[in-house]
Amino acid sequence: MAAVLEVQGLSKKYPKKENFAVDDVSFSVNEGEIFALIGPNGAGKTTTIRMISTLIQATSGDALVAGHSIIKEPDKVRESITYLPDEAGAYKTMTGINYLNFMAGLFAKDKETLDKYVERGKAICGLGDRLEEKIGGYSRGMIRKLLLARAVMTEPKLAIMDEATSGLDVINALEIRKMIKALAKEQNMAFLLSSHNMLEIEYVSDRVGIITGGKLMVVGKIDELKERYEAANLEEVFERVVKNHEVR
Amino acid sequence: MKFGNLLKKELRELLTKQAIISMVFTMVLLIVMGQVVGGAMAEGFDTSTITLCNQDDSDFTKDMLEKVAASKGTELKYVELQSDDYATELERLDIKNVVIIPQGYGESIIDKKEPAQIKFVSKMQNGGMTSSMSTISASDVISTIESVCTDEVLLKNYGLNDDDIKLIREPMQLVEYTTLNGKTSQISASALSAVTMMQSMIAPMVIFILLLMASQMIMTAISTEKIDKTLETLLSAPVSRLNVLGAKMVAAVISALLNAAFMGVGFAFYMMGMMGSAVNEISSTASEAIPEQAMAGVTSLSQGMTELGLTLTPVSYVLFALQLFLTVAIGLAISLILGAMATDVKSVQTLTMPIMIAVMIPFFITMFMDVNSMSTVFKFIVYAIPFTHTYTALTNLMNGDMLTYWIGLVYQIIFFAVCMFLAVKVFTTDRLFTMSFNLDKSTKKRGKKTAADSQ
Repeated sequence: MAAVLEVQGLSKKYPKKENFAVDDVSFSVNEGEIFALIGPNGAGKTTTIRMISTLIQATSGDALVAGHSIIKEPDKVRESITYLPDEAGAYKTMTGINYLNFMAGLFAKDKETLDKYVERGKAICGLGDRLEEKIGGYSRGMIRKLLLARAVMTEPKLAIMDEATSGLDVINALEIRKMIKALAKEQNMAFLLSSHNMLEIEYVSDRVGIITGGKLMVVGKIDELKERYEAANLEEVFERVVKNHEVR
Repeated sequence: MKFGNLLKKELRELLTKQAIISMVFTMVLLIVMGQVVGGAMAEGFDTSTITLCNQDDSDFTKDMLEKVAASKGTELKYVELQSDDYATELERLDIKNVVIIPQGYGESIIDKKEPAQIKFVSKMQNGGMTSSMSTISASDVISTIESVCTDEVLLKNYGLNDDDIKLIREPMQLVEYTTLNGKTSQISASALSAVTMMQSMIAPMVIFILLLMASQMIMTAISTEKIDKTLETLLSAPVSRLNVLGAKMVAAVISALLNAAFMGVGFAFYMMGMMGSAVNEISSTASEAIPEQAMAGVTSLSQGMTELGLTLTPVSYVLFALQLFLTVAIGLAISLILGAMATDVKSVQTLTMPIMIAVMIPFFITMFMDVNSMSTVFKFIVYAIPFTHTYTALTNLMNGDMLTYWIGLVYQIIFFAVCMFLAVKVFTTDRLFTMSFNLDKSTKKRGKKTAADSQ
């Protein structure tokens, strides 16, 4: 399978900070693969994701999204990705359907494509008639479903999601996880996820990368990592890598 | 297509039903207030009816009062006071004031040839302007009584005829001229100032509202997007950051213009309603002061204003609009930078302060004084605020002071270019996400430092 995302020695140092927020990080994500970037708070997950999403500039290194450099061709990169930030909101004065229309309008090049995107978004979010209501009146779960639908309706080559299910109840979180798995399998869409929920990562991801102190310590399939670290679950692997800095 | 989509979204965010209802409501409220206040002022100025308590039955007083009534076409409303408790009497008779001519008034003047007392009782209803106006207009009536009384004394005590009295009364004919910037017009300065005051209050008020509205709108638009993280979603979409920035600015300008138009119309009606009676009063007084033979040179206030160059040409309006546009653009550019620093709602409120102060200082200064008359240091400080030049633009254009106008315009262009450069820099780099202003955090930091220093 071809790599949709190739991160090559990506680093970021913020002005007036002594240490690198992200230090020489490299990994790749293939078509139809769900890759999870996990790590403690302040490890550099969001900074890495923001650089790949072209929101902030890398200090050094590069990343290729569908063959386009985030440094040299950020416009092309943005055509191939969608990004769902952690705890993101939506425009409260818009109705759900207006929001989908607005966001689809930023990606679609003609009316036909726009309508196709919106129809897809409507089907994915499953909000039905509630889409005609103002987003201000939506529950957190409804907003997250709408945002997820927005993130995948344009059929991006790479969907980047920071804490995709944070703050959601069990049922809503489960629905979203199933949706992500289905989209990766059926649409061959690649996902780059970030989460603190190890159970979620174990359930949904094909491969994980554990990042701490800005450095990507280990990358691998979950079962391989559990075997390598002689751990019962991903949490134990995470603990050994982050707490004891064990690199196997 | 993408810019149109973005602009539509921004306008939808800014021009909500609630925002439009609020604009219309404010305009209607101002119009109604203008009518109410104007009505109260007109009532205060009303001199057509004088409430009078005549306790003197002398022929002199009767003749005098007949002449008072005839002199100004004033209707005398006679009342009877039952006691000297004036507060109770005014309340009982439901009147605001009363002129009391005591018994023996005529006898004192004619027979004893001594000045006599006239009492004037006025009820202050509150501290408002309209309350004192009834007192002012009643004082006008008293001076009429005094004048008629003098005529009667001259007629009856000294045997002078009407022509002699007229000559004594009006030994001169006042013809008023007003000069401005080397131009002269045969017009009363007081009548003129009442009209120009109205004009000079509306324009700064509209500029003030326009600037504050536009700045707050863009600051809220940017900060809300940043706080809700919708900005990250938007900027990771295939759309240029400058398009996002441009759409926000254009939408803020459109909304602010709409706001200013509603407020401007409302405020104009408010001022017309309030000032209308005052202007009419001053104008009529001025007309009376000009004798018939001199009236040939004076036709109207508007002609006088044209003669003095106090009216704006279409070119002047274009130049004023240009400076107004630049002022709003500067306000927006500064607000963009400040809005990008916001981390929460509290910090948005704090970050609005610098703009508010920069808008308010020249607003109040230019409303009450001439900036050029200030000391050099203060003058430069006030002129360093880019908004000042728009507040003074109308006056400069009216006065034909084009050098000051052009200097102001060039300064604003440079200021705008610098602000816009910084705004674009913020918006197209990491600073948009890394810049922050948190008062609590900085206060805590300062607190910690102070505590550490003391240890």
